[in-house]
Amino acid sequence: MRENIKLSRRGFIKATGAVCTAVLMAGAIPGLLKPVMAEEKAEDIKDTLKKLFGDKKIETGHVDLDVPIIAENGAVVPVTITSNLPMTADDYVKNIYVFSEGNLDPFVAKMSLTSANGKAEIAMRIKMRKTSNVRAVVETSKGNLYQSMKEVKVTVGGCGG
Amino acid sequence: MAEIGKIMIKVPGTIKKGEVIPVKAMIVHPMETGQRKDAKTGNLIPEYYINDVKVYYGNDLVTSMNWGLAVSTNPFITFYLKADKAAPLKMSFKDNKGGAFEQTVQINPQ
Repeated sequence: MRENIKLSRRGFIKATGAVCTAVLMAGAIPGLLKPVMAEEKAEDIKDTLKKLFGDKKIETGHVDLDVPIIAENGAVVPVTITSNLPMTADDYVKNIYVFSEGNLDPFVAKMSLTSANGKAEIAMRIKMRKTSNVRAVVETSKGNLYQSMKEVKVTVGGCGG
Repeated sequence: MAEIGKIMIKVPGTIKKGEVIPVKAMIVHPMETGQRKDAKTGNLIPEYYINDVKVYYGNDLVTSMNWGLAVSTNPFITFYLKADKAAPLKMSFKDNKGGAFEQTVQINPQ
């Protein structure tokens, strides 16, 4: 019985310590203090990719992703995706996907191209909630997947606030 | 915000037949994520964003896009087009509140 009390007391102290640490950490990162931000759970990029592509292997290469190293304003981050894959009538880049991994919903956009585009390149401006990877996935008409990713440091998040 | 849905499409002034040209398009739209709070009331501003974009060259659907919440306010997009015929290029945008906007430019390759 005595042993049990000791253990639970130890457990209590451990738990209190953990909570204190958590509070301190939250204090260090002002973003976490906003209740709305802290409650909402971001979807993991792995789940997003799995939903879209199943277990298909995504290879690297053939995709060039041009993003800034530092984005001062997360609400407007310029992104350019270029692929050197062919754009002929029977073999072309069918879909270009853009993801921002730190967003609550990492999916940003899907662009469906045809050979009439002549060139697999898209430039757009996206919103990023925090510093994270931007990932571009290219799907060819034959079903092959290629990707490229780069980290963008975001000074001011661009989704809520 | 009376301008919501105003579209500007820019293509090169002179186009050679068969040339791959850049098409730059911008549409005025707030693109609300549903995560932003109204500064006065403190309530979340509901989602209001363009989720569907279609590009027609003549009668052919050449490009279609599905957008999520994370496309920036007043979306600005560049894509390419193989200008192999004289035909109108039509862009149509739809938002999640049923708004539909479109704009057409004529492509006249020399």
